[in-house]
Amino acid sequence: MIRLENVTKSYSTDVVALQDASFDIAKGEFVFLVGPSGSGKSTMLRLLNRQERPERGAVWVAGRNIIDMPPGRVPHLRRNIGNIFQDYKLLSNKTVFENVAFAQEVIGKPKHVIRQQVPAVLDLVGLAGKEERFPHQLSGGEQQRVSIARAFVNRPLILIADEPTGNLDPTTGEGIMRLLDRINKTGTTVVMATHDQRIVNTMRKRVIQLDRGVIVRDQARGVYE
Amino acid sequence: MFSRLAYTLRETLAGFQRNVTLTVAAIITAAISLLIFGLTLLIQDGFDNLLARWEGGVEMIVFVNANTAPDGLQLIQDTLDDQVGTTIDSYSYCDVECSLADADRVLAGDPTTRELLGPDNIPTLFKIVPNEATDVQFLRGLKESYLTLPSVNTVTLAEEQLDLISKLQGFVSVYTTGLWIALMFASGLLIWNTIRTAMFARRREIEVMKLVGATDWFIRVPFMLEGLIQGLLGGALAVVTLQFINWRWTLGVEDFPDSSGMTALVVVDGYQWTVALYILAFGALVGMVGSGIAASRFLDV
Repeated sequence: MIRLENVTKSYSTDVVALQDASFDIAKGEFVFLVGPSGSGKSTMLRLLNRQERPERGAVWVAGRNIIDMPPGRVPHLRRNIGNIFQDYKLLSNKTVFENVAFAQEVIGKPKHVIRQQVPAVLDLVGLAGKEERFPHQLSGGEQQRVSIARAFVNRPLILIADEPTGNLDPTTGEGIMRLLDRINKTGTTVVMATHDQRIVNTMRKRVIQLDRGVIVRDQARGVYE
Repeated sequence: MFSRLAYTLRETLAGFQRNVTLTVAAIITAAISLLIFGLTLLIQDGFDNLLARWEGGVEMIVFVNANTAPDGLQLIQDTLDDQVGTTIDSYSYCDVECSLADADRVLAGDPTTRELLGPDNIPTLFKIVPNEATDVQFLRGLKESYLTLPSVNTVTLAEEQLDLISKLQGFVSVYTTGLWIALMFASGLLIWNTIRTAMFARRREIEVMKLVGATDWFIRVPFMLEGLIQGLLGGALAVVTLQFINWRWTLGVEDFPDSSGMTALVVVDGYQWTVALYILAFGALVGMVGSGIAASRFLDV
């Protein structure tokens, strides 16, 4: 599903975010990216949805090298990738329903499909009955669930999550991880950057560890260390 | 297709509602800029009209020797007839009676000189209106050619007046054109900046749209439509104000005395409606293009 081949990305001559990084992620895998701040986790996630382009190497997503993809095709790539953020990135002037529906509206999904799929995904993430609330009327955990619903409503092949539990207390964070695990079990590939040692050690999924842009460990059913 | 259209219209409307203060400010700013642009065009047209009136009054006077035989007069008249429609617009002959009447008027404050003139010695004259009244070199050439005709005593040409008219026309056309081009640019920048500010406030929304797979054009179009409507509304406001000002000015000028020369400083032939179309088209174009460019600034996600 995802393949990085000798990818190098730098932001200036002395800031190398990733250096000669290579790995494969199969369809339906759940992968943690771990490492200290500045180790290149977020850069790696941004490479997957073409927010960044590397200086060298290739990034394959769903069988296509996205580095040479024409700009006009990038939106179509992104429709197959759901994004979850530490700060949720919800639109404060839209309700829960509208926030999730927004992801379908902007890619031209018909209204009747939106009316059918949005309640279903809100039910999946445990927000049934809260459709008309605004983000500021929700807890942090609930806001992150809205963010997950928005990322998943178009049934993407891949979910990329950048520190999705970073702003949540441990109990709420566990709830979010159970939800992501549930989504992963539907066949969606999940790639998640995290600092949360407890979550990584509990989930026992594949762990790719980065240090100053270099992959120093790639371990199946790994722990944080 | 229908859902996309509905989305575009809804987002455009929402944009207006979300940023009422900013939107009103943009419309007023655009209206003021476009009004000045329109006023400049109308003033320029008014000056053109005024200059045309002045130019039409420029005359060259060919004085004929007193007691010139009819043949001599006929020769001059034939020469002028040949030139009508080419180098001169029209001419008229002022005979002895007419010349004496002119002398009465012109020399009213100088009775001594007037007494020296009588039917036997006053020169008759031809008043000539040249075709091209602003080209001083051309007029000087024409003057020289009349001086070669027999029986012509002298030729007078108001060179200083012509120089003044020529300079005034150059000043009006060059400086007012420069002014309205600068104002067009300024109003374009103001609309662009207003849309950019509105888009900056909505950059998170744009980022989310990009990340869920919206195309750049899908994102850009509601903003461009918003800019276009702002420009059109500003233009409409400017057009209404401009028509009102023009109407009041045209009415006011009618009361000026003819001798003031100001009665010609008005817009003619419905030019104000052409300017109204320019303003609306320019407002819409600048609003749409400005917002489109401003939108592109936030699409690099």
